[in-house]
Amino acid sequence: MSSREEILKAINAVTVEKKDLPSSYLLDSDSDVYATFLNSLKIVGAHFVEVKSIEAANEALDELFPQITRFQSIEIIDDGLDLAEVEVLEMHGVFGVAENGAIWLTEAEVPHRVAPFICQHLVIHLKADSLVAHLHDAYLKIEKASTGFGLFLSGPSKTADIEQSLVIGAHGARSLVVIIHQ
Amino acid sequence: MLSHSEASEKFIADEERTNWHDETLWFVRSKRDKASKNVEDWERLRDQASAIKDYTLANLGELLLQFESHAQSNGIEVHWAKDAAELNHIVLHIAQEQQVQTIVKSKSMLTEECHLNDFLIKNGIDVVDTDLGERIVQFRNEAPSHIVLPAIHLKKEDVGETFHQHLGTPKGNKDPQFLTEAARQHLREKFLASKLAITGVNFAIAETGEFVVCTNEGNADMGAHLADVHIACMGIEKVIPRKEDLGVFLRLLARSATGQLITTYSSHFVKPRKGQKMHIIMLDNGRTRQLAQDEFRNSLKCIRCAACFNTCPVYRRSGGHSYHQPVAGPIGSILAPNFDKKSNVDLPFASTLCGSCSNVCPVKINIHEQLWFWRQDLMKAGLAPLGKKIGMNGMAWVLAHPGVYQFMGKCLRLVMKVFPGAVSNGLNPWFKQREMPEVPKQSFQEWVKTNRK
Repeated sequence: MSSREEILKAINAVTVEKKDLPSSYLLDSDSDVYATFLNSLKIVGAHFVEVKSIEAANEALDELFPQITRFQSIEIIDDGLDLAEVEVLEMHGVFGVAENGAIWLTEAEVPHRVAPFICQHLVIHLKADSLVAHLHDAYLKIEKASTGFGLFLSGPSKTADIEQSLVIGAHGARSLVVIIHQ
Repeated sequence: MLSHSEASEKFIADEERTNWHDETLWFVRSKRDKASKNVEDWERLRDQASAIKDYTLANLGELLLQFESHAQSNGIEVHWAKDAAELNHIVLHIAQEQQVQTIVKSKSMLTEECHLNDFLIKNGIDVVDTDLGERIVQFRNEAPSHIVLPAIHLKKEDVGETFHQHLGTPKGNKDPQFLTEAARQHLREKFLASKLAITGVNFAIAETGEFVVCTNEGNADMGAHLADVHIACMGIEKVIPRKEDLGVFLRLLARSATGQLITTYSSHFVKPRKGQKMHIIMLDNGRTRQLAQDEFRNSLKCIRCAACFNTCPVYRRSGGHSYHQPVAGPIGSILAPNFDKKSNVDLPFASTLCGSCSNVCPVKINIHEQLWFWRQDLMKAGLAPLGKKIGMNGMAWVLAHPGVYQFMGKCLRLVMKVFPGAVSNGLNPWFKQREMPEVPKQSFQEWVKTNRK
């Protein structure tokens, strides 16, 4: 008997009282999602800039990253190592979640899955009207099997593994700038 | 191997460090409280999480088959391992097939449970733990002492010294920022060079065949996306029915663990990327045995947030290593006897049964009750230490004979008054770190007799 059969046999030998799958979790979402989102971004250590035009966004980024070339592309590449030297990566976020400052990203927005992690600094462009209140609404918005890889990203990479001292910039991006397009 | 109480005795010998450990974990617990209080529907969320897990455990076989078939159609290769040895061999086989010398691994308590690192290293393959805390303890040849904060037993001076020895950082430098940067540079080299990455799995979704891995550092993603082969290792209890259920669990997990709103990265792996090979290994290793026991089934709901560690008055003052198990703390103490009753007989007793663990558990596991059930089970199995057996039997006999009880009470009061040294000495374990109470003039019964006529 294979291990698969053995494990399934052991599971099926157990009689557990049958329970119904709880219905979907519903939660009101009428709070001020914009203000909550900005507050969450602050808590998770992200920097944000509210802009009304592409020009204004570029101006703000030039100021934040003077004399650094910003990388932006969605042309697929095979080897993630080609991105190892990227200082600043710009990409588009699909939508933001107010309660925790998380932004839904998919591999369609980057040349390679490793891009948002391997760059030194990450810039995400997000539409102000793309926010949802909480994760329950977020999962209603994500189409099932719409991407091969997606992630909720909330703030820059961090660790507190040395004496619980918070250090920003563990293995992923050292900083996160969210450009919010009004 | 030292028992929990013997190992704790060593841990608390350094009073200053013990107090630091205690206060630091209590601080994490306070952050959890604050985060949970900011979520109005927190208790409803816990109920939902618990109900989803109840459903999962009642339909485990069906959900695993659903997960398997969807993962396979996503292009992921699915393996089943009945025990640690089988999981280790599957990993070794894949590594040898790919001819890799080095593996990068993100945090996975399951691979600790299987002692995968030792096994691979014995077979000539180097494993680099990439979570900062895990790398620190790996350098020191230690096990993680906490499932979320693996190096919480260490001070920055210790980490500075370890990095000085292994990474050549300047002697005496103990700045967390500087040390983290040194680890970032060191591990980035490993990420860029590695062809094979191992990660754990936080949640596996039956309806879509995808799995979710949560980290703050980004180490799981750096490893998995750069490597040609990604192996994800999960316990069979990690499956959940629907994708939308992630909304419930991800809202609970980080808030319960560290008081964060969510982990920095919650990565959803659906399909391998072009040219990449992705494997999932689903491990039993005693989980089906736990499933079959009504009193202990609930322990399989655990999402490994460690809230029960941080709140536990015993864990905070005894340190993770005193539990001599990959998963320490209250949850570890109810999981461990299922692996081996004899060597873990001390763990269900390493508790005051105060119930705080059950109160903070995001999936509502009745941890303190299970500790008590295990105590009964282990005593019935005759595994309790001789001293405890004699003591408990003696106590039971005395309590069943009121006359004897009253007589002995009188004797004790007299002895403690006349010869306090008879109880206040090193032979009496209750005298350690404590002073004996003042002797009352009369027992409660005597008091009632004289005052309530």
